[in-house]
Amino acid sequence: MDTGPLLRIAGLTKRYPDVIALDDLSVEVPRGLIGLVGANGAGKTTTFRLLLGLAHPTQGRIEVCGIDVAEDPIAVRSRLGFMPEHDCLPLDQTAADVVSTFGELSGLPARAARQRASDILDLVGLDEARFRPIGGFSTGMRQRTKLAQALVGDPELVLLDEPTAGLDPLGREEMLALVARLGTFGISVLMATHLLDDVQQVCDHVVMIDAGKLVVSGATDSLLERTGIVTVDVGHRGAELVAGLERVSMAAVAGDDVVEVTVDGDHHLDQLRDVIADLGLPLYRLTSRLTSLDEVFLRRADETRAAAS
Amino acid sequence: MTATATSSGSGAVYDRGYRPYDGPRGQRGAATFALYKASIRRALGLRRSWRQKVAPFVLLGVVTIPAIVNVGIGYVTRDQPLSDRIEIITYRDYVGVSSALLLFVALVAPDVICPDRRQRVLPLMFARPLTGVDYVAAKLGAIASIIFAFSFLPQVVLFVGNMLVSDSAYDYFTGHLDVLWKIPLAIVLLSLLDAVVGVAISALTDRRIVAGASIIGLFLVTSIAAGVIVGEDFRRGRGSLAALINIYRLPLFLRDVVFLGHVDPESPLNGTANGALLAAVVYAAVVFTGVVVLLRRYRWVER
Repeated sequence: MDTGPLLRIAGLTKRYPDVIALDDLSVEVPRGLIGLVGANGAGKTTTFRLLLGLAHPTQGRIEVCGIDVAEDPIAVRSRLGFMPEHDCLPLDQTAADVVSTFGELSGLPARAARQRASDILDLVGLDEARFRPIGGFSTGMRQRTKLAQALVGDPELVLLDEPTAGLDPLGREEMLALVARLGTFGISVLMATHLLDDVQQVCDHVVMIDAGKLVVSGATDSLLERTGIVTVDVGHRGAELVAGLERVSMAAVAGDDVVEVTVDGDHHLDQLRDVIADLGLPLYRLTSRLTSLDEVFLRRADETRAAAS
Repeated sequence: MTATATSSGSGAVYDRGYRPYDGPRGQRGAATFALYKASIRRALGLRRSWRQKVAPFVLLGVVTIPAIVNVGIGYVTRDQPLSDRIEIITYRDYVGVSSALLLFVALVAPDVICPDRRQRVLPLMFARPLTGVDYVAAKLGAIASIIFAFSFLPQVVLFVGNMLVSDSAYDYFTGHLDVLWKIPLAIVLLSLLDAVVGVAISALTDRRIVAGASIIGLFLVTSIAAGVIVGEDFRRGRGSLAALINIYRLPLFLRDVVFLGHVDPESPLNGTANGALLAAVVYAAVVFTGVVVLLRRYRWVER
């Protein structure tokens, strides 16, 4: 299996008559589950169109799985699966017909396409419904069918544009679980979304863009920073802990089930330990609270805008 | 492959997981042929509800009726002297004689083209190893193939039927060898123009009803305009080149040239100078324009 970078983008600019969709974007992305994050209009869909070779970059170069998109878009598209955000399925056909037809369009022989369509629809949980017309499907079933058509050609990389859009909480969880499973099958995923919780849940690498510019790119874990707040669970005796910490001049707030303690250096952690021990409190949990991706995005985007201006 | 099984009592649920595909894989040609097949299936209503199958197969029945009647009359009058036998339709007349084919184009071309744009399926297709040229080739090929088949099959029925009811099948066959190339050539010319016009008009809108009405309207308007300008005197050698604006008749002028070697004296081009040549030029111009419209509509970038 190729272990080179999944994407290599250098100086990518896409300029439309009225707007600059991407502005000198350079980033290298490893294989795996990748989140492409940005607000609406940040340039996510334009990036997908450029990756697929459906639009020309104004400037710059893109390599997907080691292949230059400008030189051989057909070879790139042979390795990709694409799940658009919008409705894109022929409603008067059955899921089995649609997925097997797209399998053939991906270059599979007819018999193999039918077999894979059956397998993939089973994988996405549509085995019972595969002979029903898509027009009668719920939003969740249509999203699964869209995912199935993206997978039927056995792609190296799947581009998912807002895969959880329009789904109820249960449907969203199921879709994210499916996306997370793709990684275990050796399929890389580039998931464009503005829902940072989705990315934090399934992606191991994040690329954040804002107004066409790169905000930050890195492993999800490395972007989540410590906030300087420690969450302590001492059962129902949180008020005692807060009072004890106030006596040693440490700030703490009691929440519903936990106490959030502001710490500034290791000596504060030692004091916290001593207070808990002196009061004889049970210690069920003590964790360092991390920033969310939302906080990272907002802060880094502000920094990028400030640097640009 | 991920394969796990959980059992409960006598039953077991298997997670078959995901199996990578490592078999043969085609490229553009395979994708184009797949789209061609899918378009033919759609046009004929295959793998769709029975309602979608009614129109194409009723049409096939309608266009075959003249052949069956002709063969039936030939069978009934087979013992009559040759001069007394009745032939209600010739092979030349049978090429493009049925306006039902036109209705078929107006019905099927929009059905094969418009939903791809209206239901926004195009981005899924062009995310495959497929270009705009491939898409146009597959769609045009599918419509042209069906028109060809629906025009050619009745001719086969007519030819085989006539051969069987003739005094000598072998003599009939050897005596009509020329139609074995004239019929397919004339039908190819008819199919190509009808398909190009039908698909090009359909590509300009995402509404089937608008496309269908536009196809019928174009053929009707050009037909009526040509009829008014040319008038009724063409049989007396007063034909006019204005007859060439009738898009519906264009392939029929060329059909006459294929079968007769010249313009039919009964056609509105009768008596015009270089009528056959100009008909070929206008035919080529219409096909060229239609193909250009299609290629521009489905150019591979900025979709």
